[in-house]
Amino acid sequence: MAKHSIMVIDDEKIVGDMAKLSFEQDGYEVETFLNGESALERLKEKRFDVVVTDLKMKGVDGLEVLRSIKKLYPGVKVIMITAFANLDVAIEALRDDVHDFFPKPVKIKELKASVKRALGEE
Amino acid sequence: MQKTFFRGLKEVFGRDRGAATGLTTRFQAFQAVLDGNNRTLEAMTEMGEKLGGGYLFDVNYTRGAYAALFSAISGSLDQFNLLTDDRYPRLAEILARIDTLVQRMLSGSASLSSPLVVSYPEITWDQAEEVGGKNYHLAELANALHLPIPEAFAITTTAFTVFLHHNGLEARLAGLAGADGDALAEVRSAILAGGFPEDLSAELAAALESMRARLGQNATLAVRSSAEEEDGDFSFAGQFETVLNVPCTVEAVQEAYKEVVASLFQADSVSYQRQLGYDLGKLKMAVGCVAMVEARASGVMYTVASGRERDRMSISAAWGLGKAVVDGMTDADLYTVAKGETPRLFSRRIGAKEQMVVNLGVSGIATVETPAAQRPLPCLGETEVIELARQGQIIEAYFKAPQDIEWAIDTNNRCYLLQARALRVEEPDETGSNAQAQATGYPVLLRDQGIVVQRGTIAGKVFILHHLDELEKIPKGSILVARHDSPHFVQAIPILNAIITDIGVPTSHMASICREFSIPTVVNTGSATSVLRHGQAITLQAGEGGEVVVYEGIVQGLLREERQTAAKLRELYEFRRQKYIMRYIAPLNLVNSLEQEFTPEKCKTVHDLVRFMHEKAVQALVANAEGQGRGFNRFFGGKSAVHRLSLPIPVQMLVIDLGGGLRGNPGGKITGFEAVASVPLRAVLAGMLAPGVWQNEGVALRGADLLSGMTRAADVPGGAAIMENVALASSEYVNMSLRFGYHFNMLDCYCSDTPRNNHIYFRFVGGAAAITNRSRRIQLMAQVLAEQGFALKAKGDLLIGRLSGLGRQEIEGILKQLGCLIGFTRQLDARLDSDEKVTVLARRFLQGDYRSSL
Repeated sequence: MAKHSIMVIDDEKIVGDMAKLSFEQDGYEVETFLNGESALERLKEKRFDVVVTDLKMKGVDGLEVLRSIKKLYPGVKVIMITAFANLDVAIEALRDDVHDFFPKPVKIKELKASVKRALGEE
Repeated sequence: MQKTFFRGLKEVFGRDRGAATGLTTRFQAFQAVLDGNNRTLEAMTEMGEKLGGGYLFDVNYTRGAYAALFSAISGSLDQFNLLTDDRYPRLAEILARIDTLVQRMLSGSASLSSPLVVSYPEITWDQAEEVGGKNYHLAELANALHLPIPEAFAITTTAFTVFLHHNGLEARLAGLAGADGDALAEVRSAILAGGFPEDLSAELAAALESMRARLGQNATLAVRSSAEEEDGDFSFAGQFETVLNVPCTVEAVQEAYKEVVASLFQADSVSYQRQLGYDLGKLKMAVGCVAMVEARASGVMYTVASGRERDRMSISAAWGLGKAVVDGMTDADLYTVAKGETPRLFSRRIGAKEQMVVNLGVSGIATVETPAAQRPLPCLGETEVIELARQGQIIEAYFKAPQDIEWAIDTNNRCYLLQARALRVEEPDETGSNAQAQATGYPVLLRDQGIVVQRGTIAGKVFILHHLDELEKIPKGSILVARHDSPHFVQAIPILNAIITDIGVPTSHMASICREFSIPTVVNTGSATSVLRHGQAITLQAGEGGEVVVYEGIVQGLLREERQTAAKLRELYEFRRQKYIMRYIAPLNLVNSLEQEFTPEKCKTVHDLVRFMHEKAVQALVANAEGQGRGFNRFFGGKSAVHRLSLPIPVQMLVIDLGGGLRGNPGGKITGFEAVASVPLRAVLAGMLAPGVWQNEGVALRGADLLSGMTRAADVPGGAAIMENVALASSEYVNMSLRFGYHFNMLDCYCSDTPRNNHIYFRFVGGAAAITNRSRRIQLMAQVLAEQGFALKAKGDLLIGRLSGLGRQEIEGILKQLGCLIGFTRQLDARLDSDEKVTVLARRFLQGDYRSSL
């Protein structure tokens, strides 16, 4: 069976790096992006099984990424992470479209469990 | 609790405003210090966890968390200064310095106020980043370990920034991220053509002048790289340029400096940096200028010969300069040494050494044929091998990791260390797939008990610790199993594989240390000391989700998985950089509060500051309460907050109720044990009243009692007798002073439901018998208190014991024992006419036998 693929988008390198390292250990294929623009470019070429994205980024932010993905690949699950924990309104609005939502710092173990659920592995 | 407490204080001190204001304010400050310290430790614990590798975090998190920590410790310091009348102004300076270092790390920029050139003896603990790893480690060998190194100075990373700025190179480097070979070549040329700002030239000139003054006009230098992290987590071995035989002149050193700096942008080095996740152009380089050694022989020592031979070290040696060995160009001698207290030459293989590298003075170095007669001779005698090995072991122990050390022996047979860096040791047999499956068949000894302080999977033999003085006896690689945790375990941490305790909290000093050193640690298992056997081989699996499993035996499969993850995580640069700030926060250097070392100057980290303030805050409060206490009989002869305690033993005591210290509202001034509500006071009294403690050998009510100063009801207050027995008590606090004749007991205790706030401070001094007897009594008390886990200092007839961080019930138990001890020992000195009695009586006392004659 082919490896599941995960796209990670965050404007801070450390987040993508650590996520890549952690997911690769579990046998996933991971690509990381530092902004929404480059991620959307890549999405035109490749469908990922799960997308993990930061919410607040300069330029194309997490919400825009989410909308584009839902248009391109309605079945792809999106997990949102953000440093701003009290965005209740945003969470509410996103509830239907987002598979999961985590405030940063997010426990890698929980993120992994969420990815598994998104892939129907659990 | 606090409100009642202060109301109590106000009532008590209402009549004497001076005393009231003094003690009330100080007690408030004391409480605020404890509170600030607690918040600091919590923030520290939280950061340690989030930055520990199990979380995705970004710099916003790190900034926010550090800001919270800084605000807590600053608040604590303000109150501490109030409490101690600004007695320790140095603490604020230290905190400011730590803050500067952390902020610099968070912003990723070097401060321009730091020096451009530093001589090695002046390199301090906090300059690792400024002088780069290689300079820092070599200087540490001399400054901390007093091992021999050549004369040297460092040109700092600040100088690097200044040099780039002076030559307008910053923007160019910032744009280098994806640069190709041509762009890199251009940058190198620009660096080589660069000029030097005046201040840098001036500082260099001064450093070179003093070098020539010490070594002579003809001395030459090795000018070598020392990048920020070089020889730290990553060796960068051989990645950068080293220029040998550089004359001690400004012009020559400047040329060499530029060559070394330019080597940052050589193709090999660039790919290495990219592999490690550096953004090209971000790595800063310091440079070391080290006096050349007129080497007779040189070489390299590995303090671990190989993954399979961890108990041996290997030393390779060749004639002349070390380049021959480092570059592997000659068949060197190879010596193997068995490690141990007295290292032993294990094997020796004499290489052919056909070539050697020689120093031609200012014209450089040359590789030449080794004279035929010299080839078959060993480069090192056995004594030299052993001496090198001894130094290697010292260095390995200090840096807590296997080391790769370069050395040289000069023509006068003096040995110099030239470099020390971490040695990566390959693990043998990296196979094994499904870890969980590997554990099947191993009996489970403990499962899901306790709190994981530091996750990790590790195996080792159980060492059950009963006394702190057994710490020295723990064999390397043991898993320490103890009843409760103690900051004193830090001494043993370099040799421990893991720690498991019955009782403990994840925010203790010890817990922080374990996280800092990544020692797998589980506290509060409840039963580890009874379930695990001394000497038993076990595997501890402490998971990131808090799961704990202890297997009997060594589960190899689990161990392998763990090592791989840790090694990969270390390779993320940004992760390392942010985690690095914990270095200024978490390590605890002040371990024994009773040592001379316990001074503000010794505080290096936030954790040190917290510990220092806690200790001195307790002392300040005690001093203050004692001062107030002596005056109580004058102020409170008939006041309602002061009660005379009537006990069924010949001891009179005044209790000052600070709030919740006594039950209900006792009608009269005289009250009994049953009315004592203060948890710590009640516990001590219970011990003093325990059957047999006071009635030893019928000395109870003879003239000796009068002599021993136990005052009677009729003597108090006023009259000739001086009231010396005073307890200031609230529901969770007591400060008591007891005087029996010529000796004095002082006890200060906070006993609440928050273990971290709890402490016992006990002091005993004096006695009427001869000093030998008095000091025997001190020894006896010390033996008993050591059993309870007190940190002790004893000198002559003075004993100071300090204990903290235990839970309420434990504190109560210890206080009761202390109460027994106070009663038991009050006239014991006269009876201790031999040293044997000390041990016998101490042992009996611990068994509940309070007879004082053999």
